Amino acid sequence: MDVESDRVIDARGSYCPGPLMELIKAIKEEDVGRVIEVWSSDESSAKDIPEWVKKAGHELIGVFKESDYWRIVVRKTK
Amino acid sequence: MGKLAIVLASGELEKIQAASTIASVASTLGNEVVVFATMDGLMAFRKDVVENRTWKTAGELGKGMLESGAPLFIDTLRQAKEVGNIKIYACGMIMDMLKMKLDDFVDIFDDVVGVSAFLGMVEDAQVLFI
Repeated sequence: MDVESDRVIDARGSYCPGPLMELIKAIKEEDVGRVIEVWSSDESSAKDIPEWVKKAGHELIGVFKESDYWRIVVRKTK
Repeated sequence: MGKLAIVLASGELEKIQAASTIASVASTLGNEVVVFATMDGLMAFRKDVVENRTWKTAGELGKGMLESGAPLFIDTLRQAKEVGNIKIYACGMIMDMLKMKLDDFVDIFDDVVGVSAFLGMVEDAQVLFI
């Protein structure tokens, strides 16, 4: 799936909840409709960030596995 | 959602780390979170302890966390204060007893409160004691 992200956060090397907290900060800063992706080398973050996105009511565009990290792509919806 | 209160009484890094992670994420999901640091849990926020990373650990896991150099609970709580609804309070009784001031601790506390004030804040909250 090819979605152009407006902002990329490279949180590789950080552990739960680091990548999530960085994503949340970016979501707060960006406007509604913007697409933000966070890169995480931490598998638990790749699984847990979508849970947060669902609970917070944003749109999960997808979780994409790269060689040794995950790209979690989210659209801010409110 | 609801209101979550965490009494942080343990000084063990593993417990503080787990509690802070839960508190921080909860604070970003529409919950009001209150952390009350007391006893050894308060001492974990002393400036010298934080600067030298000399927290008590329960065992190998905590030592590994220290050695990894990964950001720990102080950083997580600071991020949560930026983006979430979280207040962190220091226990006044311990500070009186040990003649300590807020200045002896890292800059993270919203205020110093006693047990009555804390109980007033958490009347309608789910309370976790750690």
